[in-house]
Amino acid sequence: MNKILMLILFILMIYIDRKRGVKLFFSLLLNFIILMIIFYMTAIGFNPIICSLLGCFIISLIILYFVNGKNIKTKSSLISICIVLILLVFLIFGMTYLSRIAGFGYESYEEINMFSYDVKIDFTEIAISLILISLIGATVDASIAVSSALYEVYENNKHLSFKELYQSGINIGRDILCTNTNTLLFAFLGDFMTLVIWFYKGHYSFLDVINNKTFCAEFIRILFSAIGCVMVIPITSYVTSKSILKLGKEKTIFDIKD
Amino acid sequence: MISKVLKKNINMIIFIMLSFLTIFFVYHDDFLYSKEIMKITSIKTEKIDESQNAFGLKEKYYYQKIKGVITNGKNKGKTKTIEYEETYSSVVTDKYRVNDKVFISDHDIDGLKRDIYIVILFIIFIALLYLIGKYKGLLSLLSVVLNFIIFCIGIDLYFKGINLLLLCIVESILFSILSLFIAGGINKKTISAIISVMVSVITLLVLLLIVVYTTNYSGIYFNELSFLTVPPEDILIPELFIGTIGAIMDVAITISSAISELIEKNKNISTYNLNKSSKQIGKDIMSTMSNVLFFTYLCGGLPIFVLAFRNGYSIYNYITTNFTLELTRFLVGSIGIVMTIPISSFISIKIFKRGAK
Repeated sequence: MNKILMLILFILMIYIDRKRGVKLFFSLLLNFIILMIIFYMTAIGFNPIICSLLGCFIISLIILYFVNGKNIKTKSSLISICIVLILLVFLIFGMTYLSRIAGFGYESYEEINMFSYDVKIDFTEIAISLILISLIGATVDASIAVSSALYEVYENNKHLSFKELYQSGINIGRDILCTNTNTLLFAFLGDFMTLVIWFYKGHYSFLDVINNKTFCAEFIRILFSAIGCVMVIPITSYVTSKSILKLGKEKTIFDIKD
Repeated sequence: MISKVLKKNINMIIFIMLSFLTIFFVYHDDFLYSKEIMKITSIKTEKIDESQNAFGLKEKYYYQKIKGVITNGKNKGKTKTIEYEETYSSVVTDKYRVNDKVFISDHDIDGLKRDIYIVILFIIFIALLYLIGKYKGLLSLLSVVLNFIIFCIGIDLYFKGINLLLLCIVESILFSILSLFIAGGINKKTISAIISVMVSVITLLVLLLIVVYTTNYSGIYFNELSFLTVPPEDILIPELFIGTIGAIMDVAITISSAISELIEKNKNISTYNLNKSSKQIGKDIMSTMSNVLFFTYLCGGLPIFVLAFRNGYSIYNYITTNFTLELTRFLVGSIGIVMTIPISSFISIKIFKRGAK
């Protein structure tokens, strides 16, 4: 069934744009391979947090440079994403460490009871790396949207100051925010439906649910994706405005010399 | 001077005070729970044991005596000692520390009291949303909350015997009307986006049903859904469906606002040029949106992969079993996104062009 779905997706992507569709499809395959490498490295015992941070960096490189091309927009996006990742890693670490969402809740016992639990790998770190990888897609999306829109703004009004550029970056970000939170919420709800049905069947109360390990793990994961998305907006506006203006200045000096 | 600063930041100050009050309240809300809650005062590790699994991995077990004070119910104030077995990996156990609040039932620990952390993170999120998105950000939060309530009502109705797929279709229409009106107000843009969402949703559903009936779920591994007593096939399609709606709405509103912008800037723009521009916008959305879904869905399998791998299963084994469901979710979501691009540009152009005449 997945093969047929994949074929349909491929055909649809080519229908939208032949060259870009093929490129996108292959970048997804590449991302998949990298994801599996991260999984594999984590499983054989490398430090999960370092693995996932490196993985996130490579994944953003692929999405930005391979799909969107190497230019000032993607460069500033990459810098902003790195800043967000570094800032968030501490918050994620603290949150996972405190809320003990590592491992599996009662709801997954059926799924994992065929395995031995003696695996000698700390699942707290696995939980952190899981959150890091899941937020990268949404963060890259928001970042590239802001930086390319900001570049268009600059191209049309070259006299804008840093402050004006930064503010228009934030304004663009606001529009993205609304739709992005929706995409994330529903992706989460789709995943979450089984769990909700389970909660209903077990007559969980609201208080039971918000203390439940499986729920908390999912909720914290999606919240961090959204936080990454929100945080990247001002940072990208700042970095992009700075680098565009710097490039603009260099260009004018160059023009005068000519 | 000070009063001026106060006046300017009055919202901020109220927000900060409210957050602190909420956190304080949640930290002391033990009386709300009917389950007994114990605050851990000391943890003593009695014995450390090692057990070896079939693959030579040595796992450490810590046998602990956890002492604590009960903080609610009729035994409030009494101390209690519980024996607990903690593991290094904490696959199914938790690592408790002094000052943690845990639920207890008889002589077992029933899990950590996590509500405080959820609340703190949520407050951080709201603060960021407000700082950057101002009222628009808060509005998007409102639509998220309302959607969530509709979702829960839907599940409630499902247990009263209404078909889940039917519910999801009705819900999806409600979701799109609600979130798009909240995000964009009542105007032509939103209406054209809503119509696009409905058409795309129905097309996607028909496509999905055709694929499902021709392949009969071949190659899909349902283990993840197996704990429900409901047949997994009944859940899968609604689940896929709900997971995609957000992305479809996102694409539809982006395209319809772009087209309205184009027509506003140049009233005499030809349909040919509109088509060309909307295709250009579609291309840009396609690549980033599919990446969002890719990582939100596919990395969810990491913990189970690690567990399976360390139990001697191979990557190939994982990809053909546990992974298939996540992959289906991603594929259906992406198909939804890519399909919505031409549908919503066609509908938006029709609606705006008719209005222009």
